[in-house]
Amino acid sequence: MDLDFTDEQVEFRDEVRTWLAENKPREQRPDDAAGIREYDLGWQRTQWDGGWAGIAWPTEYGGGGLSLTQQLIWYEEYAAQGLPGIDATFVGLNHAGPTLMTRASEEQRAFHLPRILRGEAVWCQGFSEPDAGSDLASLRTRAVIDGDELVINGQKIWTSFANIADYQELLVRTDATGSKHEGITWAICDMRLPGIDVRPITTIEGGAEFCEVFYDDVRIPLSSVVGTIGDGWSVAMSTLSFERGTAFTANQVRLAKIVEDLIDFARDHLGPDGRRPAIADDQIARRLAEVRAAVASLRAMTYVGICDAMRTDTPGPRGSMLKLVYADLCKEIAALGMDIVGADALRRTSRWEPNGWVGYYYYAFSQSIGGGTSEIQRNIIGERMLGLPR
Amino acid sequence: MDLLPSQDQLDLIAAASDFLESRLPIEGIRQRADDPSAVDPDAWREGAELGLLTLGLDEEYGGSGRLLDDEALLFATLAEHLAPGPYLASTLGARVAAQCGDLPLATAIGEGSTLVGLAELRGDGCIGPDSIKGTFDLIDHAGAAYLLVASRQGTALVRATQFPDIGDLPSADPGSRLATATVDAATVSHWLPAETDPLWLRGTVLAAAGLAGLANALTTMSTEHAKLRVQFGRPIGVHQAIKHACADMAVAADASRSQMLFAAVCVQSGREDAAFQAYAAKAVATKAAIGNGAATIQVHGGMGYTYEHNAHLYLKRAHLLAHLFGEPAEVLAELLDQGAPQ
Ligand SMILES: Cc1cc2nc3c(=O)[nH]c(=O)nc-3n(C[C@H](O)[C@H](O)[C@H](O)COP(=O)(O)OP(=O)(O)OC[C@H]3O[C@@H](n4cnc5c(N)ncnc54)[C@H](O)[C@@H]3O)c2cc1C
Repeated sequence: MDLDFTDEQVEFRDEVRTWLAENKPREQRPDDAAGIREYDLGWQRTQWDGGWAGIAWPTEYGGGGLSLTQQLIWYEEYAAQGLPGIDATFVGLNHAGPTLMTRASEEQRAFHLPRILRGEAVWCQGFSEPDAGSDLASLRTRAVIDGDELVINGQKIWTSFANIADYQELLVRTDATGSKHEGITWAICDMRLPGIDVRPITTIEGGAEFCEVFYDDVRIPLSSVVGTIGDGWSVAMSTLSFERGTAFTANQVRLAKIVEDLIDFARDHLGPDGRRPAIADDQIARRLAEVRAAVASLRAMTYVGICDAMRTDTPGPRGSMLKLVYADLCKEIAALGMDIVGADALRRTSRWEPNGWVGYYYYAFSQSIGGGTSEIQRNIIGERMLGLPR
Repeated sequence: MDLLPSQDQLDLIAAASDFLESRLPIEGIRQRADDPSAVDPDAWREGAELGLLTLGLDEEYGGSGRLLDDEALLFATLAEHLAPGPYLASTLGARVAAQCGDLPLATAIGEGSTLVGLAELRGDGCIGPDSIKGTFDLIDHAGAAYLLVASRQGTALVRATQFPDIGDLPSADPGSRLATATVDAATVSHWLPAETDPLWLRGTVLAAAGLAGLANALTTMSTEHAKLRVQFGRPIGVHQAIKHACADMAVAADASRSQMLFAAVCVQSGREDAAFQAYAAKAVATKAAIGNGAATIQVHGGMGYTYEHNAHLYLKRAHLLAHLFGEPAEVLAELLDQGAPQ
């Protein structure tokens, strides 16, 4: 065993570090929809111009084709410089893009993939519905084939960034007669089509990038279906396995920086006794050390996961472990942040501002819900890794 | 970068497991419970012949010259099988003797003819290159010619005869023996300063490895039970209260194993953040082993509360290891004192 990086990898790290330092966005991220779109796409364009767009994408699709180790290095450097998380561009880069690569037609790929990479299009994910959350396959948004079009009626919910998205990966039911996993179709939905009504939902964090989307006789050309009609479940699953593969590495790695920031904050911020810094409080110190240790182990697990993936080439249920640990830890750190903040917890802040611990605390609740809840991850670990009965 | 065991390492684990299963079955702990020593001398020597005490010792001292990650995997395996006896103190003791140039002692310990027990300072006292002072917990001192006394500054070997008044104490862990002794100025026979070899960190990593091994064995034990035990007509593992408990155990075990291997590599290669990683490993593994022990008892119901079942033996061993190489609270304080990791 070793933790050594090759000379080329060390050089690569220097290169990444230098480029990020010179090119990272310097302004604080705005919090209005239009501002977020401009900011996130602008940063994506900068990465494209610098040759760093889509580091995980194969070169044949214009990506960086970086090895898993190089991706890890990129994310570590990215996090170390306190760069913004991949947010509005996440679905395009980590869900839609990879799905299109594996399942879309030549034309679909040629049109969409470059737009994602160049920071020209925002994608959103229209999977969840009011009655289909954890049980995604029970989705009911109807699609009827009419000539060379699909006619969509129904509703999606919790669609992050639907309000600023150009395209949506949309799961619809084209056949309700078979089992629930059959008769689902995966389509590319242009968000500017008539009949689409996007209504933002305000979150507990105060953001409004989270939306309900209503479809009233929305006509999508059949040429926008990815895979075949009725085969959408397997298309959607190819996305989820990517998501559970390396897509969360960035989050995991960033958590280490967040803990170090919190420790620094606790050294400056007055503690519960109103006289000494928070870190002088025994309980707070102990909890800081505990999350520091836990984050270290999440990083080690991430490394082991990468070694594993390099050996086996398939993202197994190990990704569920990482997601679970990450989500629990994120909430634990956020709750500790609130206790360190003390009475300043009354003041609303944004996680995008320095020491925005109050905003971070409310944001953290989303991490054990979005992308599959922690309970569902525990089911997956119990059943698929440990072989416990269903 | 590679944190997965090599084929060589897998073979090593398999060989150690075979030996432990056949020669040191867990039942032996209960059989020897009233014996002054937890160690079966024949099995100890056979284990030594197999190289269990000398895996990381340089070849010139009769060892296998393997790296700390190998030793960490071995200590995880020893703990998974609840191997009784002062493996940790003797392994580190052989290293101290070797680094001090005492070939005969290193060889004797490595061959299993000389045992080294562990002495842990409790409360005030001092551990220095010439002498030690204070009240010590002695762990598995029965039959030991030396005691290993470790501190962050350096590690000492002290002859057992330097501890004149040893008072035996009942040990909570039936697989270990406990005693207490107070010394005023016991003479140190061998001293290895931390600058030469960070033995404290090695000990920390190996204790963490043991705890990770316990956490793993407990996960397996609970999962197997959850599949087999039927209530209300179905295996209890169908219920999420049980299934999720098992999933959490698996995650805790994986986290502690990953981190202790990460730390082993850092300590071995002298990485700048070696202390950070070692303390983190101990903290994470302590929580995992004790948490998994508690959960395992619950998953087993009434059976889990019995002396006959193995669950408590694992939990008790976990508590023992948790108090070696720094109290849990101390480990956390040390961890927080470190700079940010590399
Ligand atoms: C920040 C955020 C962003 C999101 N973005 C998107 C997006 O862009 N696109 C999209 O399609 N969706 C998105 N979602 C939706 C997300 O995927 C769902 O919220 C999630 O899958 C849970 O579904 P639900 O909300 O309907 O909760 P439910 O499924 O109703 O779950 C409610 C509770 O019941 C538990 N539960 C449900 N089933 C089980 C079970 N079998 N065993 C044990 N417990 C169970 C859950 O764990 C949860 O605690 C997002 C969610 C969040 C929070």
